Amino acid sequence: MESALDSYLPTLGRYVLVAIGLLVLMYVIYRVQLWFGIKREAATGRALVMPWVIGFLVFNLFPIGASLYLSFTEYNLFKPPEWVGTDNYKEIFSLKAAKLDDPDQRSREVLPRRYREVWRVGSYVVGAKEEDFWISMKFTLTYAVLTIPLGLMGSLGVAMLLNQRVKGLSLWRVLFYTPSILPVVATALLWRWMFSQNGIINTIFDPIYDLLSMEIPRWFTEPKMARPAFLIISMWGVFGANSVILLAGLKGIPQELYEAAALDGAGEWRKFRHVTLPMLSPSLFYILVVSTIGALQVFELAAFIPTSKEVGTFINWLIYREAFDTRHMGMASAMAWILTLVILAFTALIFRSSQAWVFYQGTREENN
Amino acid sequence: MAELVQKRRKDWLIESPGPSQVRFYVRQTIIYGLLMGCAIIVLIPVIWMISTSLKTRDQLFTGKVEFVPDPAAPENYADVWEKLNSISPQMTFARILANTLFITLLAMFGEIFSASLVAYGFSRFRWRGRDTLFLIMLSTVMLPGIVTRVPAFLMWRDLKLINTYDPLTWPSLFAWGPLYVFLMRQFFLSVPTEIEEAAIIDGANTAQVYWYVMLPLIRPVLLAIAVLSFQANWNNFQSPLLYLTASERFPLALAVRFFDQSLSKEAPQWNYMMAMSTMMAAPVLAIYFLAQRQFIEGINFGAVKG
Repeated sequence: MESALDSYLPTLGRYVLVAIGLLVLMYVIYRVQLWFGIKREAATGRALVMPWVIGFLVFNLFPIGASLYLSFTEYNLFKPPEWVGTDNYKEIFSLKAAKLDDPDQRSREVLPRRYREVWRVGSYVVGAKEEDFWISMKFTLTYAVLTIPLGLMGSLGVAMLLNQRVKGLSLWRVLFYTPSILPVVATALLWRWMFSQNGIINTIFDPIYDLLSMEIPRWFTEPKMARPAFLIISMWGVFGANSVILLAGLKGIPQELYEAAALDGAGEWRKFRHVTLPMLSPSLFYILVVSTIGALQVFELAAFIPTSKEVGTFINWLIYREAFDTRHMGMASAMAWILTLVILAFTALIFRSSQAWVFYQGTREENN
Repeated sequence: MAELVQKRRKDWLIESPGPSQVRFYVRQTIIYGLLMGCAIIVLIPVIWMISTSLKTRDQLFTGKVEFVPDPAAPENYADVWEKLNSISPQMTFARILANTLFITLLAMFGEIFSASLVAYGFSRFRWRGRDTLFLIMLSTVMLPGIVTRVPAFLMWRDLKLINTYDPLTWPSLFAWGPLYVFLMRQFFLSVPTEIEEAAIIDGANTAQVYWYVMLPLIRPVLLAIAVLSFQANWNNFQSPLLYLTASERFPLALAVRFFDQSLSKEAPQWNYMMAMSTMMAAPVLAIYFLAQRQFIEGINFGAVKG
């Protein structure tokens, strides 16, 4: 029997040692700088940020480099990594398009061996060797492209509602923010239960299914139903947190601007379009960046809600399984790098476009 | 007397509303109706979770929506641990709770400690390379965790620290949360330099200024970060999943998964799973309701000032 303390004390000891070591190191770095004739102010500043610098080097920069190296290898934890050049990437990007003779034809008949169907566009079918990766990538990207604008609009709506001088504002705010507080582990399970075959959602909608004479949907295994289900889950979780941020933004808009707009004869819509939106754009920009990064990295939902192979899963979870279940560390690293580039591309796009629509007070006027 | 007249006038206004009053009431009705609608959407799943956790097996699949189980089965909360105990003898409620608190508190302390030092260095001192380094720090937010996960796992494996709490706790001393540094820096920047200068003239050194002058001044943001960090670490699932293998060392998040993957694998026992979910959610909800102002402030600092 292992007692609890046996597992806590060694870690606690190392925790204290690392903390003390870090403080000593900061002091040494401070001293060394003084010795080199650097001013006290600069020396103190540099010494203070040392914890982050060391953490960045050890827990970020080095692993990033190592992951790039691993993505060019084959590695299963038991044998040392074997250099395979760009094989992993080639395998992932092996895509083949073929034409179907008739729409009911099975894609296996036209695609080369080892290629499985990923997309079907009209009478064309695209196959890939790593079809799971592409199906999940497609799933994640469409999820992100749908959930981000919908979430943004929904939370803007709620924020504007709360901004109507409602009574009990803090109570509403607390209430709407609750879903973002709950552990994702708990909410993922909860939604799996609610969307399950005999769950509350199917029970409530049963009359409607009857009316439309459709079968009771299996939400997470039917490709057509999975995405709406995950969208509903994400809407529920996201609009609270975002609307709290947007509400603070709305409260910060000077009332004079609306009065000036009204004097100029602007109606509600033009006030919204030409005062609210530009003034709110920094908050909208922040939410856009954060929710893009978040939507492309959904993990817990995928871990707790099994989906079918045809639906695919969230890419982050797929990569995790590739690395730690099937132990294809090299392949997983290559996939992780592709995901990283996708995220960077999305954020770069948002940052580039922000010059056109984000207005910081005092730096730029809106020109119609 | 004048008050009475005014009150009369008010009553009179309410009794026979003019057209603008009608519009006002319609508007109010729509606003509060929409708010109520949103509140119901938010609350129903949470109530359903608690309601399910109090049901017996037979009450789960009745084909009807029943929010108040009759009779209620609060014993689920104890039974679920007995069931876990039967397949993993050391998984007691006390042990799993202690594990969760151990990880959460150490990580939380490390985050606050390191973020405040680093933010102090990034805000109150001038040195070459400061702004570049700060930008690099902010840009790490964009880095997906998965890209560093494989090498990080290999590193901890080489240190023979897999299945210990080390990867989950002391790396927090190295300011792993750039967002917290950012929040605190905003706050440090808003403190007038005169306060610091006065303390230095009085003979305080940097450590004393930091501890006795700066930290008390930024207490609101420290509290906000404490609650945010407690919630994030308590709810954390990804890193424990990667680093912990022995079931008696699991935090709550992994215990829930363990139950889901073992006892609930074939036929999901939703009443027990919802009981565990409720248990996991209760402390964060309690802290949230107690410290909701800090929470709201915490998420707003970053957005409005960024």
